[in-house]
Amino acid sequence: MLFKLAIKNLIGAGLRTWLNVFVTALSFFMIIFISGMYDGMRKHARQVTIDTEVAGGSYWHPEFDPLDPFTFEDSHGQPPATIQNAIQKQQAVPVLVSQASIYPHGRIMPVVMKGIEPSQEIVNLPTNTLLEKTDGLIPVLIGSGMADYTKLKLGDTFMIRWLDVHQSYDADEGIVVHIMETENFKVDMGTIWIPIRKAQTMLSMENEATYVTVAKNVPLLNGTHNWIHRDIAYLMRDMEALIEADEPGAQIMYLILLALAGMGIFNSQILSIFRRRKEIGTLMAVGMTRSRVVGLFTMEGGMNAFLALIMTIVLGGPFLIYFAIYGIPMPIDYTEMGLIMAKRLMPVYSIALLVSTTLFIAFVVLILSYLPSRRIAKMKPTDAIRGKIT
Amino acid sequence: MSKPVVEIQNLLKQFPVGGDFFTALKEIDLTLEKGEFTGLVGPSGSGKTTLLNIIGGLDAPTEGTVNVLNSNLGTASHNERAEIRKTKMGFIFQSYNLLPVYTVFENVELPLILNKVDKEERKRLVEKAVESVGLSDKIESRPNMLSGGECQRTAIARAIVHQPVLVLADEPTANLDAENSHHIMKILVQLNQELETSFIFATHDEKIMGYLRRIIHLDDGRIVKDEHISNPENLS
Repeated sequence: MLFKLAIKNLIGAGLRTWLNVFVTALSFFMIIFISGMYDGMRKHARQVTIDTEVAGGSYWHPEFDPLDPFTFEDSHGQPPATIQNAIQKQQAVPVLVSQASIYPHGRIMPVVMKGIEPSQEIVNLPTNTLLEKTDGLIPVLIGSGMADYTKLKLGDTFMIRWLDVHQSYDADEGIVVHIMETENFKVDMGTIWIPIRKAQTMLSMENEATYVTVAKNVPLLNGTHNWIHRDIAYLMRDMEALIEADEPGAQIMYLILLALAGMGIFNSQILSIFRRRKEIGTLMAVGMTRSRVVGLFTMEGGMNAFLALIMTIVLGGPFLIYFAIYGIPMPIDYTEMGLIMAKRLMPVYSIALLVSTTLFIAFVVLILSYLPSRRIAKMKPTDAIRGKIT
Repeated sequence: MSKPVVEIQNLLKQFPVGGDFFTALKEIDLTLEKGEFTGLVGPSGSGKTTLLNIIGGLDAPTEGTVNVLNSNLGTASHNERAEIRKTKMGFIFQSYNLLPVYTVFENVELPLILNKVDKEERKRLVEKAVESVGLSDKIESRPNMLSGGECQRTAIARAIVHQPVLVLADEPTANLDAENSHHIMKILVQLNQELETSFIFATHDEKIMGYLRRIIHLDDGRIVKDEHISNPENLS
């Protein structure tokens, strides 16, 4: 019965209902859209990191600490046989890391020099460009961020200086064979990539590596001696920490939008009760109990949210689908700021996001509909009939 | 002989005003039998509407006994009073109190929905009630499309559609012109005679008084005169 009356009241109120529904739908849309954007950003950052850096995990030389460049001198060695075996089967790629200095346009600049197998397909880096003939120059692959920072262009040559295993400095000319577009600043900024054989020769570290990255879905290798296995979760921990640090920001945005939607509903309920007090009195006079009148108004608020959901699907759905397919172009390149962010952001609307958002908003709307409606229970029918608020 | 519809003994009604109390009704003793066509008459502030509200269970007495339709309203809960109103009473208000977003049909249908009458029966009863007040041609209209008289006739149809035992009317003709007032009163008299429904009016409208068979005069919260009229002038 309350349901029928609530429907009648909502439909009967005409424009007032649709305005309320529209405002709520707008908030619904914005909450889903922005949550989708955040999820998209996170998913993209995870994907790019796994794709270009982490793959299926790594085995580290026991001395290796990527956050401490002073460990690079000592963190090299021949990988154990089981890892070598995976490298030969092309299930893993060795990387030799060392400190170096480069002199682009005569300026000195410290870099991390990474030797990698050019023919590898385990991490999504265009390392095959390192196979290019360079007439004895060291072929160097850099990212576009590094290129901008060093003002290096394709084909530019520059001096590279390094410290070999015997603690002797040596230097040679390198040439930029490719500038890669990557959204992962960690493989770009401050890093130069060269063929691993060349690096091993330069550093006098034949067949040695600092870490070995394994392909996705390669099972855990046994007999890796003191080489430390770092799984995806470990290698992603910085990224997860960044995302986690960003979580409060996303939640604040979510709460602001929810508060906007909530205020709209709360206001319209308050206004509704103020405007319809005579109607409330009449309903009591014809025999409706106070609790049922409260139920009626709460149900109207709840149905307002339901209609808003339908309106969001009908009006906002095509936009959400469009953005999910074609993405949203970002106005600036965030990789320069040290953020892993696509140039075209693809929002992700997971079922969990849609269901949780819908349920949460529905719950909040019901509470916000109920709270002002409780005021009805305190109304004296005789005052309400006359249109007075008590 | 059937039990009285309304039986009031030693009623006192006070409202808190600031730190004090305002006495709206005192020493009220009253009995109304089934089928009576009664008016509570008196100047503004005499307590007519307060007494009507107490009889309707919309307000509670401060002291005294109020038995309406075999229920002691003084001890009844909110929900019990709502149940009595829903099943056995009808209300007519000065300003009609129609629900603005509902059509005439839907307004009249409301008490039947609350009484859980099935859809077919609701339709039949609503059409019958609307016809009895002469509004069949306006059944799909909304209140803003109706004149004052038509609104009040809709309110009457709503008050009688579930065939209540008692109809309480608070200044039902106050907002109407003379012609509409007489028209409304004739409808109510006819319903009273046909259905044996008891009517209690709170009024100071002279036009109504010519239809009443009993006039209870109130002044300053007391009954000052209880007049039985065997031959009301407008019905003769």
